[in-house]
Amino acid sequence: MSPTGAVSGSGPARRLLSARNAVVAAATALALMLPLFGSNFFVEFVMTRTMILGIAAATIVFLAAYGGMVSLAQYLFAGVAGFMIGNAAVAQDAWSKGLKLGWNPWVAVVFALAVTTAVALVLGALASRTTGIYFLMITLTYAVIGYYVFGSITPLSGFGGITGIDPPGLFQDHPVRMYLALVVLSVLVYAAFRAVAATPFGIALQGIRDDPVRMASLGFNVSLHRTLAFTLAGFFAGLAGVFNVWWNGQIDPTSISIGPTLDLLIVAVIGGTLSLEGAWLGAFVFVVANNYLRNLPLVDRVGITEARFSTVVGVLVLLIMVLSPDGLAGIIERVRSGLSRPGRPSETSRPPSPPSDAPAGAAAGAGP
Amino acid sequence: MRNKPTIRRLLSLVGILAAFALLAASCGDDGEEAATTTTAAPATTAAPAEPEPEPDPMEEPEPMEEMDAVVHLGILGECEGAFGAFHEDVVAGASLPFITFAGGASNSPTSALEGFSGAVVAGVPIEVVGIGCGDDTPDRIIQEVRKIVEQDGANVVIGPLSGDESIAVANYAKDHPDVTFLNGIAGAQETTMVVQAPNFFRFNGDGAQWNAGLGDILHNVAGWDTAAVIADDYSFGWTSTAGFIAEFCAVGGDVVSRVFPPLGTTDYSSYVQQLPDPDEVDGYFWAVGGSGTNASLEAFLSAKGDLTGDQHAGNLFFSPALAAALGTDIAGAYVGGFASLPGDVSTPAIEEYLASADAAWDSLVSPMSGMEAGSPRAAAAFGFFYGYYSSALAFIMALEEVGGDLSDNHAALRAALAGVEIDGPYGKITLDENRQAIVDTSVQQLVLNDAGEVVSQTVALIPAVDQSFGGTFSPTTPPPDRENPTCEARDLPWVGNAVPVVDGVPQG
Repeated sequence: MSPTGAVSGSGPARRLLSARNAVVAAATALALMLPLFGSNFFVEFVMTRTMILGIAAATIVFLAAYGGMVSLAQYLFAGVAGFMIGNAAVAQDAWSKGLKLGWNPWVAVVFALAVTTAVALVLGALASRTTGIYFLMITLTYAVIGYYVFGSITPLSGFGGITGIDPPGLFQDHPVRMYLALVVLSVLVYAAFRAVAATPFGIALQGIRDDPVRMASLGFNVSLHRTLAFTLAGFFAGLAGVFNVWWNGQIDPTSISIGPTLDLLIVAVIGGTLSLEGAWLGAFVFVVANNYLRNLPLVDRVGITEARFSTVVGVLVLLIMVLSPDGLAGIIERVRSGLSRPGRPSETSRPPSPPSDAPAGAAAGAGP
Repeated sequence: MRNKPTIRRLLSLVGILAAFALLAASCGDDGEEAATTTTAAPATTAAPAEPEPEPDPMEEPEPMEEMDAVVHLGILGECEGAFGAFHEDVVAGASLPFITFAGGASNSPTSALEGFSGAVVAGVPIEVVGIGCGDDTPDRIIQEVRKIVEQDGANVVIGPLSGDESIAVANYAKDHPDVTFLNGIAGAQETTMVVQAPNFFRFNGDGAQWNAGLGDILHNVAGWDTAAVIADDYSFGWTSTAGFIAEFCAVGGDVVSRVFPPLGTTDYSSYVQQLPDPDEVDGYFWAVGGSGTNASLEAFLSAKGDLTGDQHAGNLFFSPALAAALGTDIAGAYVGGFASLPGDVSTPAIEEYLASADAAWDSLVSPMSGMEAGSPRAAAAFGFFYGYYSSALAFIMALEEVGGDLSDNHAALRAALAGVEIDGPYGKITLDENRQAIVDTSVQQLVLNDAGEVVSQTVALIPAVDQSFGGTFSPTTPPPDRENPTCEARDLPWVGNAVPVVDGVPQG
């Protein structure tokens, strides 16, 4: 499935009733009801982490699918928000490292998101003139720099990191509340990205993705659009980072090192880098595999132990890239179209259709 | 071309089936026992436990009070990262006391990772419910401990291995008062001195304690008046360096330079350049661990042109293996202690302990045997194994003392743990008021043996080293970092009380 999946009909009501939205609504309802029948660990750990990673991976998908930018800096932004929360919210009399400003946790959230968004704006402006592999490399550089910045500046963190970060009272000792908040936030982030994609800004962004030279010649400020998209994605990644640090209780430079950075990209690839829904699907598969693969009967007999998780995920990613470059979401889309039109070529074998979130004709490059 | 959609559908089906298999595994975990659980075997230390009803795999974990008839043991090892090679060693260390003293039997003659079965202490069966796989990082270990405690239902956890991990786990322990945690071999000072989780116990020294005696010998025997230090820029590196600095300065030495390369550095040349030249300082203290030890010393050789053992000292990472890359000139270097002693010291207690490891397994794959199947005693003789062993041994002693009483969030057990006194093969271990071990430690030296090989030789034993270093460290003093502790002369209780060791025999 791609963000450009076709929708029959053109009215707002018809669009809301699309099969895509129905599946998302059903998945949301299932996620909200999960605490009623899921085990504590499954809800408070597996699904909570899935939601956090899903939101962060969705920012990669948004940039890749709508802006043509594959970013490796998204986990950095989650980390920046986390470090800012750690510095701002930890009490002055706590033994932890960091600035220990002791602010109200909600003020700390505003501060963290403001700093994260500002950092994303600056880094986005610097990276916006690059494309393709160069954009990937410059964002990888950002991630590496972030690791060393927080490791080296000991007043902010140091390599030992900041520990003992408690969530606000609303979530303290209420992990299910945090999970439910993350489900709601996931829906909001998902809806926001789709809504943004349908705005003139989003449509212009997709035009820049497809043909930046043509868009520039039509008068669009290509760098500005890319910068703003990068900033928006940074803000949402920061939101994921806030919840991540509340959930984990600590953050250190290795939390945003190259390993987690690549993990997030892998999540996006597993789910499908052209599908927003795929971000959460990829996160779910990644987290479930991470926690339960080792418990499958007899897998240790073939050498699959907890130490081999990276190998297994690597093989999984290779398989997905070879068999379905659109990730699991692409597989599901193929199954769906195969079932609905048996005997006919699958949808993905045909050229991409126009953006579903965009008014008809928008992708053709029509300017304001 | 007609086959292509069919193949894709088939692959899709396989993918969906795999996803369902994973999901099925996820649903069945809570309340389900891991493959390495106890079977009803006769106990040697107490009467056998009554048989338990089969748990329903889909059931939620039982409330902790009901589960406390059984010890659900989780072990936090490290299967990745700089110490990933020691995973088998530390799991074996945590298992050996249950095999030797609690009637357990290893599930595999060649691997400790298969767990053990049949162990019962004071009528309480011991079940291994999970083995965590850390990678040096707090993030990963928190996820592993959450899995072991919250999914597998562990009510006793032994581990972790590494410094920053232990700070994170000690913090986690504060939020889980129903679980008792025993440190593995992690040596960060803050873990016990500052975090002070009431349910976290450490039966090994911290990085500073292990270096007790080194500063005294380097100043008063080797004649160093000034020293430069280079250490990993994280909690264990700081703590280890702090032990050297505190004692070296306490006896009159001066630390003139401190350099802290980031953890994971591969090119140390720029950091080594920050060190004073060999003619500007009497010696260098190294606390760079893992693969960095060799790399940093080689960078020193390239930059400064000379490396002789009498001008260098290190913490536990300074091993005879360095000679392979650096040559025999490294002989003469003094080395801080660790949880165990080098093989040159042999006592009946040590021999009995090593023999018990050989009795538990036919072979183990350990870095101490070149990552090949080797004698278990090789692994057991090293500090990683012994640190976990000490914790498991202390737990057994405490549980026996309270007759298996695990009620009231392990209140009686914890009181007993705080008072445990281990008269172990490598010295006595007791706990201070922060549940931190007071340990006997040692100073070693790299020397040439008759065959011209570099080997480790114990030169002194330092009895009863406590974490405070004579008041240098306390919960209110700044924790060790790049600037702390400052260099100050002071009295340390063990200075002058070191027991010399000659040819492996303590002289006192």
